[in-house]
Amino acid sequence: MMDKTYILEENLLERYVLGELNAEEEHQIEVALNKFPELKDELSSIEANIESMTFENAIQPASKVKSQLLHSISNRKTEVIPIQNHSSKNPYLVAASIAALFLMSSIFLYSKWNTSQEQIRIVERQNYELNKKLDKLQKDNEKTQALFTSINNPDTEKYVLKGNALMPEAKLISYVNDKEKSVIVNTAYLPDLDNEHDYQMWADVNGEMINMGIIDTNQEMLAMTYIDYSESLNITIEPSGGSDHPTVSKLITNIYLK
Amino acid sequence: MGNDQNLILHLKRRDKKALSSLYDKYAAALYGVIVRMCKDEQAAENLLQDTFLTIWEKSETYDFEKGKFYTWAFRIARNKTLNFLRTPNRLIQTEDLSVYNDRTEAQNNDIDQYKLKGAIAKLEVHHQKAIELVYFNGMTHREAHEEMDVPLGTFKSYIRQALQELRKLYGHTIAFLMILIEVIR
Repeated sequence: MMDKTYILEENLLERYVLGELNAEEEHQIEVALNKFPELKDELSSIEANIESMTFENAIQPASKVKSQLLHSISNRKTEVIPIQNHSSKNPYLVAASIAALFLMSSIFLYSKWNTSQEQIRIVERQNYELNKKLDKLQKDNEKTQALFTSINNPDTEKYVLKGNALMPEAKLISYVNDKEKSVIVNTAYLPDLDNEHDYQMWADVNGEMINMGIIDTNQEMLAMTYIDYSESLNITIEPSGGSDHPTVSKLITNIYLK
Repeated sequence: MGNDQNLILHLKRRDKKALSSLYDKYAAALYGVIVRMCKDEQAAENLLQDTFLTIWEKSETYDFEKGKFYTWAFRIARNKTLNFLRTPNRLIQTEDLSVYNDRTEAQNNDIDQYKLKGAIAKLEVHHQKAIELVYFNGMTHREAHEEMDVPLGTFKSYIRQALQELRKLYGHTIAFLMILIEVIR
C-alpha cells in the first residue's frame, strides 16, 4: 500500500484528480483514500481549488454550442434510451439466444445422429449380404473343389450317356468311382423338362432297377447315390418328384459300366 | 453547488433538462480550460460539445463516491482536448512539429484574451506558471517541469505550495460565500 507522505510529496492526489495515473496507481490511491480521512480532505481541497480556479477563469462559449449539443442529443435519444430498457431484458435475451442455439445445435446433431444410424444400418445390411454371398461362394468353391478332386481321381471312370431315339439331343456325363463309391453327373447337356416331369437315374443290379435319385437340371454338377454292384446306369423321365419304379417306356439313355 | 446530486440523478435517467442545467452551470468553466489548452475557438467549441455528449452518454459511469461531478467533467474535457492536441493531423494543420511549443507560443500571442484571473493571478509568478501549465495547458508534471526548466522535485513543490496558497485564498472566499448564503437565507 502507498504511504500517506509519499502520496502527498509526489502530488499523487492532484495527478489522480487530473487522471494522469495508471489503473494500478489509481486503485492504490483509492485504497489509501478509504484508509486515511485526511487524504480525503486533501482530495476535496484539490477538487475545490480546481473548481474555483476554473470558474474564475471561465469563458462563455458561443450559444450555438449548447443548441447544437441539445440537438444532437435529441437525434441520439432514440439510440440511447433503448440501451437502458434493454439492460433489464438482456439476461432473458441472452438466455433465449443460448437456448435457441442449444436447441438448433441439438436438432442438427440429432439429425446427424439419425443419418449416421441409418448409414450404419445400410452398411450392416450390405455387410450381412456380402457375408452370405461369401459363405455361399466358399461352399460352392468347396463343392467344386471336391467334385474336381473326385473327377480328376485316377480311379474315376467317365461315362457319357447319349440320348436314344426318344431324346437324341440328350447327353449326360457321369463320373463313377468304385473305390470311393461316388457318382457325379454333369447335367449341362440335358434338355430342360416341363414342370411336371423330372429325370431320374437308376442302377441295374441283377436285373433290378435301383433308384439313384432325381437329376436336378438346375445344378450343373450333381452327386448321385452310389449303388454297389451296378451293371449299368439308366435315365428315365418320371412324373415330377420321381417314382419308386422306373417307367421303362420313358427310358432315354443307358450305359453299361466296365 | 449543493443540488448537483439531484441534477446528476436526473442526468443518469437521461433527463435532457438536467443536462441543460449542468451545461449552464459548468460549460463556461470547462470552455475556459479547453480554449486555453488548444488556442483555437472553433476546435474548443467542438471539444466542449463533445465533452457534454460524453457526459450525457457516460453519466451512468460517474460515481459519487469517487469525487465531485465537476472534477469528473473537467477530466473528460481535459482528456478530450489532450487527445485532440496529440492527433497527428493536428500537427500537420498547424505546421508545427511540437504540440507543446504550439501551445505556449500561441498563448503568448493571445496573452490578454487568455490571461488568468482571480486567485491564480495573486500567486507568485513561478507558482502561477506551474498551475497554468498543468491546469490550463494540460501538461503532465513531467512535461511542465521541462517547460519551466526546473528539476521535477522543485516543480512538484511549486504545485504543492501553489495549491496550499490557493486553498488559503479560496478559504476566505468560501467563508465569505457561506456568510453571504446565510445572510440571503
